[in-house]
Amino acid sequence: MALLEVRHLKKTFGDRAVLDGISFDLEEGGIKAIMGPSGCGKSTLLRCINRLIEPTSGSILFRGQEVTGRDTDVRALRQMIGFVFQNYALYRHLCVLDNVTVGPRKLKRMSRREAEGKALHELQRLNVADLRHSFPSQLSGGQKQRVAIARALAMDPAVLFFDEPTSALDPVMAREVAAVINQLHSENVTVLCVTHDFELARSVADRIIFLRDGRIRAEDTADNLRNHYDDHEIRTFFGPGAAPV
Amino acid sequence: MTFVDIIAALSKGAAYTVGVTVACIATGFTVGLAVAVIRRLGWRFAAPLTNVYLAVFRGVPMLVLLFMVFFGLPSLGIQVPPLAAMMLSLGLISGAYLSEVFRGALNAVEPDEILAAQAMGLTRWQTLRCIELPQMLRASVPGMINEFTTVLKYSPFAYTVGIPEIMKQATALVSTTMRGVEIYLAVGLMYFSIYWMLVLGVWTIERCFRVPGLTHR
Ligand SMILES: Nc1ncnc2c1ncn2[C@@H]1O[C@H](COP(=O)(O)OP(=O)(O)OP(=O)(O)O)[C@@H](O)[C@H]1O
Ligand SMILES: [Mg+2]
Repeated sequence: MALLEVRHLKKTFGDRAVLDGISFDLEEGGIKAIMGPSGCGKSTLLRCINRLIEPTSGSILFRGQEVTGRDTDVRALRQMIGFVFQNYALYRHLCVLDNVTVGPRKLKRMSRREAEGKALHELQRLNVADLRHSFPSQLSGGQKQRVAIARALAMDPAVLFFDEPTSALDPVMAREVAAVINQLHSENVTVLCVTHDFELARSVADRIIFLRDGRIRAEDTADNLRNHYDDHEIRTFFGPGAAPV
Repeated sequence: MTFVDIIAALSKGAAYTVGVTVACIATGFTVGLAVAVIRRLGWRFAAPLTNVYLAVFRGVPMLVLLFMVFFGLPSLGIQVPPLAAMMLSLGLISGAYLSEVFRGALNAVEPDEILAAQAMGLTRWQTLRCIELPQMLRASVPGMINEFTTVLKYSPFAYTVGIPEIMKQATALVSTTMRGVEIYLAVGLMYFSIYWMLVLGVWTIERCFRVPGLTHR
C-alpha cells in the first residue's frame, strides 16, 4: 500500500480549475519530484494534500485513510506531513533551537529538555547544530533551509513536502540541498518535492511528475522524460537543450 | 521655602500620578491586546462591538468621558471611585489607540510564518500565541511608548475627580505660597522625570526580549 494515494483531485478557484483531476501514488520511502511551468498548480497540489487549501473534489488516502473528509483530524494529518517552504518561513523571533522545538513542545507535549534533545539530534543530522543559538536573520539561505528541514523532521513526519527548496539558493547550496535530500532518502524518509530545478529532480527523485494546466502529463524517470517522449510540451520542458525554467 | 522643599511637597502627588498612569496603562494594554486579538481572530459577532468601542473612545474627548463616568453614572445609581473612573476613561481610550498599534504590528507578521505554523499543525490560537503575539509585541514598542507617555500627560485630569496628584498639590501650594514660577517649573521637572523613567522602563523590558534582525531602532 502506498503512503499517499491521490485520486482525481480537483481544485477550482472561481471557475478556473487549477487542479483538474490529479492522480498519483507516493510509496513509503520513495521520492517523487513534481515539475511544471509556473502557475500550473504545484504549490496548490501540496497545500491541498495537507489541507492548507480545501480540495474541491477527489480523494486523498494517507496510509489508506481518507483525509479529505469533513471529520478528518486536519491537525493530526498536518503533523504527519513535514512542510519545507521555499522561503524557509523560519520564525524570526525564535533562535534556531526554539524554531525546532516549537512543534515537539506544543504538539507532542514534550518537555523543554526532551524537545531540545530531539531538536539537537535533528540539527546535528542536518549539520547545523552549532548554529542553535543564532537567529534566522543571522543565517545564510542554505543554513535557513537546513534549519527548516530540521524543524520539519523534529515532528517525525511520515513524509516531507518541499516547495521549491532550491529556487532561492545559489548552485553550490542547491547541490547541498540535493545532498541533504539524498541523505534523507538513504535514511528511508519519504519525500515529495516541487521544483523547477531539473538537476535537483534528477539527482533525488525516483520519478518526476510533469504537471501542466492542472493535469499530470507524464510521470516517469528523469532520463525517460528527457529522451523518450515525442509530446511537444514535454520535449520543450525537459528535452535536450530545453531552456532552464 | 527652597526649591528642594517645593519638590518634597510635590512628591506626595508624584506617587498618585505614577499610580494613575500605571493603572491606566495596565487597563489600556490589557484591553488593547484583547481587542487586537479578537479582531485578528475575525470573530464575526465581535466586530460591531469593537468598532463601536474604537469609535467612541477615540472620538470623544477624555475629559468628557471622565465626567460621564464619574459624575454621570452616579445619577444612574452607579458610584465609581476616582481611580476606576480614570481607568474607564483614560485607560479605555489608550486601549483603543493601543489596539490600533497592535493591529498594525500584527499585519506586519510574515504570512508565510503563519502558514508554516498552520502547516505544522498548530491551532489558530497556538499560532497567535507562539508566533504572532511575540513578534507583534516587539514591533509595537515605539507605538506603546508613544501611547504610554500620552497617558502620563493626560493624568493631571485625575485632579478633577479628586485624586491628589502632582497638579493638585501644585495648585494648593501656589495658593498658599504664591510662588508659581518655581512650583510649576518643579512640576514640569517631575513630569519629565516620570516620563524618562517610563521610557527607560519600557526600553529595559524591550532589551530583555530583543532579537537580532527583528526590529531596528
Ligand atoms: N487563493 C487563490 N485564489 C485564486 N487563484 C489562486 C489562488 N491560489 C492560487 N491560485 C492560482 O492557481 C494557479 C496555480 O498556483 P500555484 O501557486 O499552485 O502554482 P505553482 O505551480 O506553484 O507556480 P510557481 O511555480 O510559480 O510556484 C495560479 O495561476 C494562481 O494564480
Ligand atoms: Mg509554487
